[in-house]
Amino acid sequence: MSAILSIAKTTLGEAIRRRVLLVILLIGVLFLVIAPGLEALSPRQEATVLRALTLGVIQLTSAVIAIVLTVYLIPNEIERRTIYTILSKPVLRWQFLVGKYLGAVFALGLMMALMTATMLLVFAVMKGQTSVDQLGGLARVPVMFFVQMSLLAAVAVFFSTFVTPVVNFFLSGGVYLVGSVFNSLFEAFADPSRGDINPVARALATVVQVIVPNFQNFNVQNSAINPGQVIQGELSYTIGLIGYALFYIAILLIAGILIFDRREV
Amino acid sequence: MRVKPAPLLAAAAALFLGQATVQTTQVYPLWKKNYAPIQGDYTGLSPEHFLFALAGFRELIAGILWVRADAFFDEGNFDAILPIIWLVTRLDPHQIDVYATGMWHIAYNFTDEGSRSDRRYIPSATALGVEGTKNNEHTYELFFETGWLYYHKIEDAYPESVKWFTEATKRADMLPARRNILNNALQRNNEVEKASDYLFSLLDEAEKKLKESGEFQNRQNRDTIEQNYDNLLVRMAQRGYLAKKGGYYDTWQYDTKPPFDVGFSAQVTVLEPRKIQVVGTWNVLPVGTRVRIVLRDADYPRAIPAAMEWYQGDRINLDPPKDLTFMQDQLFVRNQRFNRTIDMSRDLTMYPFVSDRFVVEFYYNPRQAPAYIQDKFGWNGEGMTDANFLNTEVRPGQRVVYTKMEFSRDEILRRGEWADKAPVRQTSNYRGLAPSQLDREIIRVPGILAQPPAGQ
Repeated sequence: MSAILSIAKTTLGEAIRRRVLLVILLIGVLFLVIAPGLEALSPRQEATVLRALTLGVIQLTSAVIAIVLTVYLIPNEIERRTIYTILSKPVLRWQFLVGKYLGAVFALGLMMALMTATMLLVFAVMKGQTSVDQLGGLARVPVMFFVQMSLLAAVAVFFSTFVTPVVNFFLSGGVYLVGSVFNSLFEAFADPSRGDINPVARALATVVQVIVPNFQNFNVQNSAINPGQVIQGELSYTIGLIGYALFYIAILLIAGILIFDRREV
Repeated sequence: MRVKPAPLLAAAAALFLGQATVQTTQVYPLWKKNYAPIQGDYTGLSPEHFLFALAGFRELIAGILWVRADAFFDEGNFDAILPIIWLVTRLDPHQIDVYATGMWHIAYNFTDEGSRSDRRYIPSATALGVEGTKNNEHTYELFFETGWLYYHKIEDAYPESVKWFTEATKRADMLPARRNILNNALQRNNEVEKASDYLFSLLDEAEKKLKESGEFQNRQNRDTIEQNYDNLLVRMAQRGYLAKKGGYYDTWQYDTKPPFDVGFSAQVTVLEPRKIQVVGTWNVLPVGTRVRIVLRDADYPRAIPAAMEWYQGDRINLDPPKDLTFMQDQLFVRNQRFNRTIDMSRDLTMYPFVSDRFVVEFYYNPRQAPAYIQDKFGWNGEGMTDANFLNTEVRPGQRVVYTKMEFSRDEILRRGEWADKAPVRQTSNYRGLAPSQLDREIIRVPGILAQPPAGQ
């Protein structure tokens, strides 16, 4: 366990020193700070759009950070040959992979926490929203984004065990894109009123929905953007969702371990 | 040391089953209930917007698009706003202001040079409102807005106003001041006793609130409801409503007796292609009467006398039928006559005049009249009559004034034999108005009764 934590700690340190990530983070934070400049709309609509924009910026920036951070995790170690030094010590390959992943997730969490804090500060200072209810409702969304991005990072880590960073970037992005539409697509396929859909296609959609990690589940920002909605079974949904993410992350890490364990480095 | 694959594969398989179970039994059903977007056509999105929307940034794109729509509002570029409203409601069906603004925009802002709304859009506005209520059942707002569209813009569809306002009042977040509107809609829908009961319940609630807190807002609300209630009770007495219920209406004098003959007559002249002049008489002294005039295709789909079915299903068609004509205007009565020139020649897309036959309809319904005229005419027109055009069929249970005239396409466009002579249609009782009568400004201050009863 200590080996995993040591690798995670080192990875975290490396991540927060990487300039490219800091630039992405800086752009995200800048967007968050200038977003309240939109004062053309009615007060309520302005608040709605502002919430949509800030949460969107956090999600988008986090997705880019998650992918950029993780696609280089393993390939960089191999390219710089530092992996030999690590693996020559009493560290197993699976510990190395898990440690790398955890380090990336810690770094991601740190950066997302910074963006969330900036967003809350913007709402509190510039929009005078200081109640715990208002800010708590907003803060809940990035927490779900964090779980979503941890899953995305697991996808990227899995791919990083056998493809190059550039290919991984597009592969992970593609999985994120497909996983972000699949609930909607499945809903369209499953609609019993649509008689034009082939039963085979319907069954296939169900299979794909089960196989592809579903990122759309984590987009719970709508109720924070448009407050007042009645959300049914919110706690049960949140627990189920976190469980779903943990299951999937574990599957991806196991698959990654199996591949990485047999790979020539 | 390498890991043993078998236990890991078994664990992965178990986890896979676990995630599939959680996804299908717990997560997806709740996602569908709470977070699913509208299934729709996103073809209006630019490629980058489409990509972002796909990637889960629907609300972000909706926000950006709405900011863009606001700029179009400022520029007066109303046509450009429609597709944005459509897209934003697809991307984020919970943006209440977008639905509310969209309905208002579609119903009110597409006008001709004479500020007449393009009524062909209204079924789309009602459809948008209905869709908005389905997607936002938690708040009163879109129920109220839909009711208001029927009450204020469409008029004459008061059962719908009552239906939507009633739904709005069921929601706890409805503002107290807005709750009064259901009373007005109930009265206009001839549900007078229900209006009375409703006001009584509102008064009861307002009294309770005032006892809880004596702040100005609560006092003002209670006073307003009390005044509305008083007015209604007085009207129920003076208009003979209570007497009818009690069976003694014939015994006593009420404001609605005897029915007053409005003496409607009209003449329509096609002055120029697509330009008509409407003159006529209306024997009511107080200013404030507006007689509805409709000029439409004789076979306009789903038309009803002097109107159309304003709700035509859930389909939001932002491209109204370009080959149909439906003009609706009000003839403002002053000094017992009206004289209005309606020029449709500058708005060819709104008034294409493609059909072969057209009808001009005149319609007056006391339910839409201001209260001081309704005091004489009653809620259902029981205090109003017309020797020639009183109609009890076009709106069952109501006494309205209604007549129509037909024109051919050649007549409206002044083509063929009508190129040199102006087509004229008039009611059989039209006696003509001298130019001096049309121009003269006489302000008469009426008493309560036009003629004092004999012996007084």
